Amino acid sequence: MKTKFCIAPLLRNVVALKTGIVLLLAFFSIAVKGLPAAGKKHTSTQEEAIAYLSKINRLDSSTIWTGINPTRFFKNLRKNIEHPITVYPGEGTYFCAYSALTYLMLQDDPLGYARFVVELYRNGEAMYRETYFKPSLEVKKEAGLLNYKGVMDINPADQMWYLTMADHFKGYLNTFNRIYDPGDENNFWASVNYAKFNRMAKRLLFGSVTSKGSDLIRPKIKDLYGYLYNKLHDGNVVLYINNRIVHKKNHVSIKLAVPTHFIVVEKITRIDDLVTLVYWDNGAKTLIQLSPAF
Amino acid sequence: MNKFSHTILFLLIAGFFVSCSPKNISSRYYFQNEKDLDQIEKSFRNSYRVHPFSIGFTSSDFRKVSVTIMTDTLNYIYDFTVGEERLADSLTRYRLPAKDILSLIGNMQAIRCTWISNYDFYDDEKKRSLTFMSIKSVALKRPFKKAKYYVLTYFQQPQYFDSEGRLLDRKKLRRLRKINGEIFMRINDKVCYTVSERFR
Repeated sequence: MKTKFCIAPLLRNVVALKTGIVLLLAFFSIAVKGLPAAGKKHTSTQEEAIAYLSKINRLDSSTIWTGINPTRFFKNLRKNIEHPITVYPGEGTYFCAYSALTYLMLQDDPLGYARFVVELYRNGEAMYRETYFKPSLEVKKEAGLLNYKGVMDINPADQMWYLTMADHFKGYLNTFNRIYDPGDENNFWASVNYAKFNRMAKRLLFGSVTSKGSDLIRPKIKDLYGYLYNKLHDGNVVLYINNRIVHKKNHVSIKLAVPTHFIVVEKITRIDDLVTLVYWDNGAKTLIQLSPAF
Repeated sequence: MNKFSHTILFLLIAGFFVSCSPKNISSRYYFQNEKDLDQIEKSFRNSYRVHPFSIGFTSSDFRKVSVTIMTDTLNYIYDFTVGEERLADSLTRYRLPAKDILSLIGNMQAIRCTWISNYDFYDDEKKRSLTFMSIKSVALKRPFKKAKYYVLTYFQQPQYFDSEGRLLDRKKLRRLRKINGEIFMRINDKVCYTVSERFR
């Protein structure tokens, strides 16, 4: 599995999620912790989602999503349910936040995700939890036609869902480009800032979401390793980082230390002065070794 | 005489800007370095077939190199100083052709190639791949400007281009094909270039 990395030495925000909670830290990072809130519905299992898809078995062509091949759509949906790790935001797109949330949704409520995506495909609009999605005509026209984005080329369900999310959720980074035009998946139309991610996490994931950080100022955490380690025991943790943490790049003299990428932390360990971080992004898990001052 | 001096001065200034413009550099850079660039691509492609990986230089002096090794379960990103023993040992440990990759790193270093990787795409649902290379050309360095990279893509199959030499979408031949959001220009049927602020 091919990956594209976006980590930068330590700009991060943290979000922690557990069983439906996401913590976002802005390394700007993000951390999510999921504590099931009182009265909340039980989340579903992968088996329930697979059984649901097996009942449907196939989908007809859509007059709403004209660029989508239904067979390929169904295959994509099934693959996401069976192998959430393979969820991929596409090469060169600004979809990393949407794919990180989808990766967590697939673990949080796979049946809810499957039902929602099928309904969105069939009706062109659908409700997920308490959020009603009605994507624009521009998005409906383009979904399924994005290409040269790696494996996302053949994943129309992902294209539909990411475009729908980007179309629905808006933050200040989207101020000057709010209406989709072809190619906007690669620019600020699709970008996600710290507050927007938190908002999306709260709407799409079960459990509580806590966060620490901001778009521009890295949160002050004395023992970052210890903090992340503890948060991981409470729930899921998402980091909002500068890509250079993962992909070092010192070719240039002017470096902006702003967060640009969302990753889901899977594991963090420390031996002496070496921190080993395993994280998910771009359809795969990646291991990277960092100094404790990351 | 005064008029003559002004004309010479104007031509020198104009010549400076024209010769340093990304467009001009792009049109000739590949052919000036064709043999080296093709050799790097071929070497990468052969080693990639043995085991997937990518290489990027992370320092401006091209002494620090980052190697990403892809496995079925995990990708590993390791940083090395070029020439240190740990680099060869790590490549061998993951069963990569260490000797060939060390030679590739040396060739990349010599030509200031910042990044090389494989890039998958799909034509009519058929998986294809290309090699993506970026070079930090000295000729593209301009004061007070963001760093620019000369980016090459090596396709395995001949591609389609419009009358201006821009890479076209195979399915919809009237639509430009963008890779990483960039329009690519024809060098030959299988090789294209662009100048970008992104190196990967």
